Amino acid sequence: MSVSRDDFSIAFRSALLQRGGAQKFSVLSLTFLALVIFFIDIYGPKITKPVRAFINDVVYRITYLASTPTRVFPKAGDTISSYMNIREENKRLKAEIEKYKSLELDVEFLADENKNLQKILETEYFNKNLTNIVLAKVLVDKDSPFLKSIIINKGTKNGVLKGMPVTMDNYLVGRIVETNYLSSRVLLLNDLNSRIPVTLDKGAQAILSGSGLTNPILEYLPEDFDTVEGLSVFASGKDGIFTSGTPIGKTNSKGTVNLFVDPNQLSFVTVNLNIQNQGKL
Amino acid sequence: MARNSIMNKLYNGGPLFLLYYLCISEIDTNLEKVFEIFTLNFQIILIYFWVIKRPDIMANGHIFLAGLINDVVMGFPLGLSSLSYLIIIFVGTYVRNKSVNTTIASDWFTFLLAMIFSNLLFFSLLNNFSDLMFSFTKIGYNIFFTLFMFPVFWLLFNIYQTTFMTNRDA
Repeated sequence: MSVSRDDFSIAFRSALLQRGGAQKFSVLSLTFLALVIFFIDIYGPKITKPVRAFINDVVYRITYLASTPTRVFPKAGDTISSYMNIREENKRLKAEIEKYKSLELDVEFLADENKNLQKILETEYFNKNLTNIVLAKVLVDKDSPFLKSIIINKGTKNGVLKGMPVTMDNYLVGRIVETNYLSSRVLLLNDLNSRIPVTLDKGAQAILSGSGLTNPILEYLPEDFDTVEGLSVFASGKDGIFTSGTPIGKTNSKGTVNLFVDPNQLSFVTVNLNIQNQGKL
Repeated sequence: MARNSIMNKLYNGGPLFLLYYLCISEIDTNLEKVFEIFTLNFQIILIYFWVIKRPDIMANGHIFLAGLINDVVMGFPLGLSSLSYLIIIFVGTYVRNKSVNTTIASDWFTFLLAMIFSNLLFFSLLNNFSDLMFSFTKIGYNIFFTLFMFPVFWLLFNIYQTTFMTNRDA
């Protein structure tokens, strides 16, 4: 019995303290170091934040370079297939141009009407301050089962601050949750930690909550509200972060929301610098 | 002779290179786009296998550094992944010290223990010391599929080891 206990303690100690050969550091010393780094990162003084931001910037750039093959090869395949289908695509595009020409007049009329209605309602027209919108490239789009986020190539150097809304083609994508000097992390709408006040077509108010899956869900809807397919979902702007009326997506038959922008297909996004500058957050 | 030696070094460095690359690149083993609930933690399979079979090619310091890089890329508090990987190393080393011959079944069982300890520490710290929320269902799926896929990678790594790598005693 005592022999087996000795065996256990020897194996245990050896696993914790063993060094030599390829192992320059013992598990125990590295565990201690990891704990120190962990607690400094969480409770550390303010001086550690710029250090962490610098490390983030460097690692994100390396990640971007290291991920080049994963971006280049699928694009090369797309380019080849697009050359093969160029004739058919030309035909289709011509037909589409004709269709859009006829729609253009309608759009112009509706845009004017929309502007006038927004003036009456005294809400912000979300394209009003285009000078304060920054275009950013997605550096890293690493999918994780626990955190849905992307890294963009604009940081505090460009005026990006925590909490700023991020859009793509005027559709809401998420918000800034971490800023470094040259890069920032955007929390996507489908992340489990994302909560956004929204308005539905019928005027109902709700909270759009990320589910960790592709489609976020609607919470806190009115009790008698019947969610039907095809209802448009907009940011309500009640939190003072997101511009009211920014389109987000449409409801589907499952009661979740199909986002207008696929969170897995982001390459360029825009950051609205106005909100934080106005001190609304 | 010299060429052989270089090739051997390259093959021996393969698993470590793969670990670093998985941590730093955009490549992930979150295959939710293929199958809605399919996610696995490939890094811990990689670490556990090589710590058990060839600890000389995967130094603790490298694994620790890979963990730090993983934390930066994934947006976790620094040191969290390193701690979780160190638990895997610890269980792996303990199992190696205690056992003479291992089989796929024994490795599979001990891997389950290593993964439970590692994930317990990882999510306890994440839950108590950060604002991040996570779904326990997803953690369950992740653990299940990582465990489920372990024998597949065990066989693949074994083939790699016997085909490309030199004997540590050679």
